[in-house]
This record gives sequence, C-alpha cells and structure tokens, in this order.
Amino acid sequence: MDGFTVTIWVVRLLFLALLYLFLFGVARALLRDLRAAAREPIAELGRLVVVASPAGEPVAGTTLSLDAITTIGRDVNNAIVVDDQFASAEHAVLTYRGRTWYVEDLDSTNGTFVNGARVEGVAPLGYGDELQIGQVRLRLDRPRR
Amino acid sequence: MTRQPVGRSIAHVGLALTIAFGVLAGGAGYWQVIRSQELSTAPDNPAVVAAARQILRGRIVDRNGKVLASNERDENGEPYRVYSSKIVSPVVGYASRLYGSAGIERSFGAELTGLSDPDPIRNLLKKFQTDPYDPQSLTLSLSFELQRAAVRGLGDDRGAVVMLDPRTGEVLVLASTPTFDASAIANPVTSKKAFEAAADDRAKPLLPRATQGRYVPGSVFKIVTAVAALGSGAIEPTTTFPGQQQAERDGLVVEGFRIREHGGVPVRRFDLAHATEVSSNIFFALAGLETGGENLAEYAARMGFGAPLDFDLPTAVSQITNARGSEPGGFIDRVELANAAYGQAETFVTPLQMALVAATVANDGELMRPHLVTALTGKDGTRSLAPRSLRQVISKADADAITTAMVRAVEGELGRQFTPGAKVPGVETAGKSGTAELGGRGEPHSWFIGFAPADDPQIAIAVLVERGGRGGERAAPLAGSLLEAYFDTVAP
Amino acid sequence: MTLANATPLPRILGNIRPRPRWREARLIALVGAAIVVGSISLELAQRSDEPGVLRGLSPAEPFHLLVYLGALVVAHLAQVVTGRRTDQVLLPAVGLLGGISLLLMERLPQNLVVQHFGDSDFGLADVQLIWLVMSIVLATTLSIVVRSDRWLRLYKYTWAAAGVALLLLTFVLGTEINGQRLTLSFGPISGQPSELLKVILVVFLAGYLSENRPLLVEESTRIGPIAIPPLPYLAPMVAMWAIALGIVVVQRDLGAALLFFAVFLLLLYTATARLSYVFLGLILFLVGAWVMYQIVPHVRTRVDIWIDPFASPQGAGYQVVQSLYAFARGGLIGTGLGGGLPTVGGGQPGGIPEVHTDFPLAALGEELGLVGITAILGIYLVVIERGLRIGAAAGDEFRSLLSAGLALVIGVQAFIIAAGNLKLIPLTGITLPFISYGGSSLLVNGIVVGLLLALSDRGVEPPPPPRPRSRLGRLAQRAGIA
Repeated sequence: MDGFTVTIWVVRLLFLALLYLFLFGVARALLRDLRAAAREPIAELGRLVVVASPAGEPVAGTTLSLDAITTIGRDVNNAIVVDDQFASAEHAVLTYRGRTWYVEDLDSTNGTFVNGARVEGVAPLGYGDELQIGQVRLRLDRPRR
Repeated sequence: MTRQPVGRSIAHVGLALTIAFGVLAGGAGYWQVIRSQELSTAPDNPAVVAAARQILRGRIVDRNGKVLASNERDENGEPYRVYSSKIVSPVVGYASRLYGSAGIERSFGAELTGLSDPDPIRNLLKKFQTDPYDPQSLTLSLSFELQRAAVRGLGDDRGAVVMLDPRTGEVLVLASTPTFDASAIANPVTSKKAFEAAADDRAKPLLPRATQGRYVPGSVFKIVTAVAALGSGAIEPTTTFPGQQQAERDGLVVEGFRIREHGGVPVRRFDLAHATEVSSNIFFALAGLETGGENLAEYAARMGFGAPLDFDLPTAVSQITNARGSEPGGFIDRVELANAAYGQAETFVTPLQMALVAATVANDGELMRPHLVTALTGKDGTRSLAPRSLRQVISKADADAITTAMVRAVEGELGRQFTPGAKVPGVETAGKSGTAELGGRGEPHSWFIGFAPADDPQIAIAVLVERGGRGGERAAPLAGSLLEAYFDTVAP
Repeated sequence: MTLANATPLPRILGNIRPRPRWREARLIALVGAAIVVGSISLELAQRSDEPGVLRGLSPAEPFHLLVYLGALVVAHLAQVVTGRRTDQVLLPAVGLLGGISLLLMERLPQNLVVQHFGDSDFGLADVQLIWLVMSIVLATTLSIVVRSDRWLRLYKYTWAAAGVALLLLTFVLGTEINGQRLTLSFGPISGQPSELLKVILVVFLAGYLSENRPLLVEESTRIGPIAIPPLPYLAPMVAMWAIALGIVVVQRDLGAALLFFAVFLLLLYTATARLSYVFLGLILFLVGAWVMYQIVPHVRTRVDIWIDPFASPQGAGYQVVQSLYAFARGGLIGTGLGGGLPTVGGGQPGGIPEVHTDFPLAALGEELGLVGITAILGIYLVVIERGLRIGAAAGDEFRSLLSAGLALVIGVQAFIIAAGNLKLIPLTGITLPFISYGGSSLLVNGIVVGLLLALSDRGVEPPPPPRPRSRLGRLAQRAGIA
C-alpha cells in the first residue's frame, strides 16, 4: 500500500467516522427526550376532583383532567359526562383563558353553582372553588406539574 | 372517556418507524454483504464489464498445460485475446470489446479479470491495494489432443462429442461442429466482420451444440428408461414380459396405437441385457409403461433432466416430455409414455446430458458434477477445485446390471451389428447406439453413448452426428476411435 | 359577564432577544467538518489516476463548500440573533443530509442537468446548490417568522380545497414526462405540485383529526370485535383511499399515492390510538393494490419487476438490477466517494437512468458501503424523531398532529424510496428528501422543516382554545369566549 492509497482511505474512513460522531452526539439526548415525551401527556392546565356524585357517574373521589375547553353535561358527547337527573344534556362548559379558569352555564334547567352561588352566563373559577352540576359537586385543583 | 394521550401514540409511531428503518438497514446489509460477492461477479455487472476492457485477462490452458487463450496488444497498447485454435471455441468462447464474452471467458470472466478473489478476506482488503486485480489463469480438464481428434472425426458434419471422466466429472472433450474462429472475433480489427459472418451462417457455428443443442435421442434414451425401471424397482435385470413375444410379431398396441419393432430383433421374450443388445423398442416400451411416467420423470430429473445442468457453461434443458399432459410425469397419455421410453416422443436431449447418463451408469450409479475448470492460478499460487458428487441416482447393483447390458450392446454377437467400430481393442467397452428418426424425409441423427473399461470405467462418451444416418453408421465408429485415442494418449 | 375578546395579533417578529444556541453550533461544526472531509476525499478520488503525486489535501469545489456551509452558519446565526427557542438538532441534521447531497451531485456527471442563465451554464451540482441554499433560507425564514399556527388551524377546508384544485390543475395543465403528469411549467420554471400537496394534506388532516378526535375515538361502529370509525366519519377515510387510488390510476404516481395513504393511516392512529382503524386501512390498501395490479398495466410492470428484476435485466428491470449491483459493489465500507463507476451503472453513458433523482441511495450505497447507508438512515431517523418529539411536547392536539404529520411526511417518503432502491417494495418515482436532486422537493421539504422549527419554538404564544363543536361553539361564541 503506497502513501497515496493510505491517505485516501484514511480520509474516506474519517468521513464515515464523522457521520457516526454526529449520530452519537445526537443519540444520547434523543433517547432521553423520547422517554420523557412518551410519559408526558399534554400539559395539564387543571384538574377536577369529584367531591360528591350520588348517581355514580362520574365516580366519586376520582380526579378528572381538563382540556383547555371542557364540556360538562348528561349527553354522552360531553368531555365530562354527568349522569344525574338534575343535569341537563349540555349543562356547562369550563374554559381556560389567559391564566384563568372560567365556567359558563349553558342555559341549563337547574342551573350551575360555584361555591353555592348560581352562575349566570360566565363566571371565573379559582383553584379550590367548588362547582355544582345537578347533584354532582366538583372541585377545581391545580395541575399536577 | 379517558383517551390515550397523543404523546403515547406518537411514541408508538416512532417505534414503528424505527423498526421500519431497521428493516431497511437489514435490506441494505443483505445486498451489500450477503449477496455482494455473487452480484459483484455477475458477468453483466457493469464493473465487471468495465474492468474486462482494461485488464490483462488470465490465460486458459488445457489439462496438459497447452495454452488455449492468451493476450496480445494492439497498436494502442490495449490488450486483446487470441486463441490457439478453432477447435476449442465452443468451450473457451471469446472475449471481445464489441460483443462481450461467451463460453468460459464469460462464465469465469470475474476470475479471469481478477475482480473476485477466491479468498474472502483478501477480497475485502482488495480495495486498499493499488493494484487490486489478480487475474487468475484457468486450468481446464480439456484435452487439446482429444478435442482435435473429435473435431476431425466429425469432419464436415454438424454434431457434437462429449467425453468426461465418470469418476470425477472432469470434461475432456466438448466439441461442436461447425465451429467458429474466436480469435477473429476477439481481434478488434476483424471483430465486426467475423462476428456478423458467424451470426449469419445458417449452420449456426456459434451454437455450442454439445451443451445447447437439443436433439431427439432415439435409442440411446433407452438407458434412461433402464435407469428408471431398475431404480424404481419396476423391473429386475431378469424380468421378461409375458406378452412380449406376440408383440414382437404383431406390434404392441397401447391405447389403440400400434408400436412396431424394428428389424433384426428376435421374436421371443428376453430380458434387459438382451433387449439392450438388440435395442428392442417393444421391450423398453413395456418397461416404460411398467415404470410409469412419474418414476421415469423422477429418475431422469435425478440425472439432470428438466432443468439447466449444474455446469461451468450455460446449458439447455433436456426434457422427456413437453409436460403439458395430465398423466403422471406430464405425459399426455400412455402412448406418449411408451414412445418416450424408447426415445421417440417429445424427448429432446443435449449431448452433454446423455454423456452424464453414461457417466452415472459407469460410476456405480453416482453422478459427479461435470466441470471444466480444475484449477485457478493467481499471484499467490494455485487453487484446485475438487470434484463434487451431485447424488447417487441408482444403486451399484442396478448400475452393474445396466453395464452388463451395455457391454452386450457393444461386444455381443448381435450387439456388434448395431454398434460397429465402437469397441476399443483390448478394452471391455460398454455402450448404446441410437438412431433418432425425425419423421419425414432426411437421414436420422446418429447417436452413441458409452464408457470404458466396463469393469473400472475411466472415460464416458457421447457422440451425436446430425443427420448421420443410423447409429452404427457414424456415431459408433467415431466413438470407438475416440475411446481408443483416449487410451493411447491420455491414459496409456 | 362577558370577556373582552382580546388576543393581540402576533407581531411577525415577536420578541427579539439574542440567545446562544450552543448545541446547534456544535452540531453544525461537526456537520461542516464531515462535509469538508468528504469533499477532500472526493477530490483525492478524482485525482487518483495520478498516483504517487501527493499534492496536498484540498476539497473538491471549494466554492460550493463555502456557499453551502456559509448558508448553514447564517441560518444558525439568524436564529441566535432573533432568539428563537426552536429545536437545535433539526437544522444540523438536515444540513448534513444536504451536504451529502451536494457531495453526491458533485461526484455524478455534471451534464445530467444543465440550466442556462444568461451567459453561464450551470451543471448538476451548481443547480442543486442553489436549491439547497434556497431551501435553507426558506426553512430559517419560516422558523423565525411564523409565530402562530392560526392560519393553518382555522382554514383547513380552504387548504383542502386548494389541494384538490392543485391536483386538478396538474392533471389538466401538466406536462407529461415519462407518461406521468406531475409537472407544472410556467415558462422556465417548473415544479412538482404533488410535493406541496403532501404538506397541505398534513395540515388538513391535523385540523380535521384534532377537531373530531373525541368522536373518532369514543364513538365507533362495531362490526364484531373490530371497531370502525363512526360512519359519517368513515366517509373522509374512504374518500382518502379513493383519492390515493385515483392518483395511481390517473397520474400514475405510485409513490405519492403510497405516501399519502401511509401518512394518513399513521396520523389516524396517532389521533385515535385505535389499531383497528389502521388494520381497516391496511385491508383497504391491500384490496386496492390487488385491484390496481389486475387492471393497471403500469402497476403490474412495477410489481413484476419488484418480484424478479433479473428476469428482464436489460429491459424493464434494468434500473433495479443496476441499483442492486451498485449496492453489492459497495460492500461493507464502499468504494469511497468518487470511487464508484461514473454513472453508477454501465460503463457506457447511461448507467442507472435518473440516478440523481430516483437512485441516489444506490450511488451512496456503492460509495459509502453498508456503514455509510446505515449512518444515512440514522440521520433520517434523527429528523423523524425530532419532529415526533416536537409533536409529543406540543401545546395541543392540533400542533401535535401537525408536527407528527410533517415528520412523517419526510420519514415515510424516505422509507418508500429507500425500500424501492433496495427491492424491499416496488420501485416508485418519488424523491429522497434532501438528498435527491430536485427543486420542488427541496423547497417543499424546506417548508416542512421550517414549520417544524416554528412549531417547536417554546417562546411562541400558547395555542388558543380549540373551537368547540357546532352548537356549543355558537353558544360559547355568543358568550364571547371563543
């Protein structure tokens, strides 16, 4: 093997090695991120704890996660289904704007209550406040993170 | 109501894609490592073609070291091939710039140009060398002298001769006539004219008849029937057929079709050895019917029928039937089976295939792989290619029985009439002649297959002379003289 | 109580506050080193017929190198200066692929493509360099300028209509090349709109699936143990399938049809996490493929060549056979850049037809070997993974699906063409993203990367709450919330 052949092959193998160096450089962080991403759900904005639920749906004591807009009512298409005879099909909607939670009553038959007070239209909802839909009581809690 | 977070699904998709790309890497590995050697040396791989133009190809020599193919340089200093004689053209082929390559030049092109190294590690490291090519010289088992004798013996007739050693599968003669001038094709000056003349010639000199000519076999096919009949146990060497005597007189009726015997066959029952001696159509038709189409096809396949032969050169496929029928073995009906059994149906064979039949019987029923190239010589010395056994076709006992029959065909009182000149003086010779009727006008093909000495065979032979007349007219005496030449020159 | 309907319109440039991006800088340096070394190796190979003369190590085409690496550095600095907190791995990875592409185009015969501008002639590598730079510029611009995805999210049906219009336009007005109507030409400029279609498709699907996700997941019609999407929503799925088949039949573009359908199925799974939908889709695919095989001769040819290309090595199977020969010649570590046959094919001019567009992987396989091919596949996986990760961490479902979809568009396309080169699936005529020659392909993939970067920016405003479904939506709107 003469000098030229040695040189050219060193350069060629160096090129391949650099490609792999790039991959390794990325790989470590890659694996870390992938595992984290799989575990990480969409950023939670808030949670509802089911304080009381005589009818059994939703189950008392459970915690429900909230999307930025969450509908509540007896109809099965709602995000949170309240199977209570005093709840309307489409009872209320919880939304998150800016950094505040709001609840809006959707012209329900028996009304929506926050800490005992009836809600007309839209009202802000703070963490720790209790929401009543029919006979079901739900408390808004901070997100897990 | 709980939905799997999108993040989880995305992770699944990511995993699926990673696996998919892993499969891709595996696929790449398959082609780049596992099949790499095979594809890199394929004759139409452009790297092989490109290299072939520039590299000094290795020489090709016969079993005694006589040079068959070598190189010369033209006025530009670029190499071209020269060949020692026309007689080896069907074997050695040619390597030309315009027309690519043929014959051994083609099938061993990668070795001759040095593109592939027999040693796999060196092959890998080859790219690191400045001069990576190690053109190999090939040593063939061919015997130039015998080949010349064969070609002279065929003379102006079209035909082929194959001679091989049944113990090893080495091919000593692979002659086809008419032949062509390979040097003229390889020489850049005369290349175009010579090639076009050869291609246009109606006698088809470019067709290697020994390996790719397909002919009706006639009675030499009876040996195949004998192999199948004994091998499958349908008959014993002593079997005789009850209805044979009458059939000899009145013809054999199979499903309404009457098979007639040819002249010179006694009107009585007889066994295999006698049937072979007189070349009885009726006996072998009966034997074929008894064996059945499926067994016939199977034993024929064991000797190489039905597929290209495992050989150093490309071969045509020999068949026992067109296989369009629904009877066992592919025959249309039992009439076809009966006719095939004595070699006159839709049966087409190559001379090489028939030589292998003879070699199988000669070698106690074991078929050796036929080959031409016996050694490769490069920078690091010579590497020999060992003989390889393909399979045991029939038992030694069966092979002995057929040998006995074939000895009778050459040396027996009656047999001699059909195979004049085939016997080698002083050597017990076994064989079978064949007359392939082609129907219509014209002479039949003249065939002979055989081997010698019968008790410890060293050489097997197949001779075909197109339109040569009866088997005994051309093929048998030519075979005899060639066998004699073998014992005089190659193995004195 | 009504809320003020106040979301300030995002200013195009948002906050500008320079931030260092060390990770990206390190990776780009590595990319630069790799490409420079590759270029030197190319130059050495091209001078190898003068052995023994060691004239020092210099790169081939230093001007190209300078322009390309300069573009990467400028892109990096632009993001540093504008303080975008976008993903730091995507650009270097894509840059590496582009660099490999540049090296490949420099190595192939330059006369495969000739463009004339004014007095000068531009060869293969020159034109590819121009497209690469434009692609990088496009990607960087998008990553800086796009601060909100509202324009993508809200107008999905408009996008869909635009896509269909583009498709029809191509069919009606397109110029026919090799029996395929894929190119729209306006004067000297020609492009392949089907490339843009795939992005539009992803945008539409992301919007559609994120909006209807609850329905698709929770309501499904059951046939035995298999869940199929609720029937009203099954219609778009079947429509997708029909469009894919239509593309195959009418435009004879197998690759695009396969790509669209695969991306669609994968996004459907991402949105609904229901394997049964995917199985249903696969069944539809197999049925459609079988039908196509029977009645469309073009498809039949492709599949036959796939099954046994050596049956017609000089005829229809020529491309695939030459491609496999090229891979075989490469072996484990390849012949080195520039060390392979000139056109990666026959010694005569010709070689593998369309090697710069359809078979770049074969050329790279020959020169870089199995080791190199695995590295390149790894880089594609990196790109896909970054895109998927952006999707997994995104603010809401629309962004998740959009990012995932964009990543899939690149990844699945790469898979399809690589598999075709390697005879794992029938050959199709689509391009290898960032490596194949082709302006439209590079520009569109640049858009994809740009959008991915934009979506990954952690400083971008949080997404608006998704529009609720019709009746509630109107109510909420009346209340001034949505």
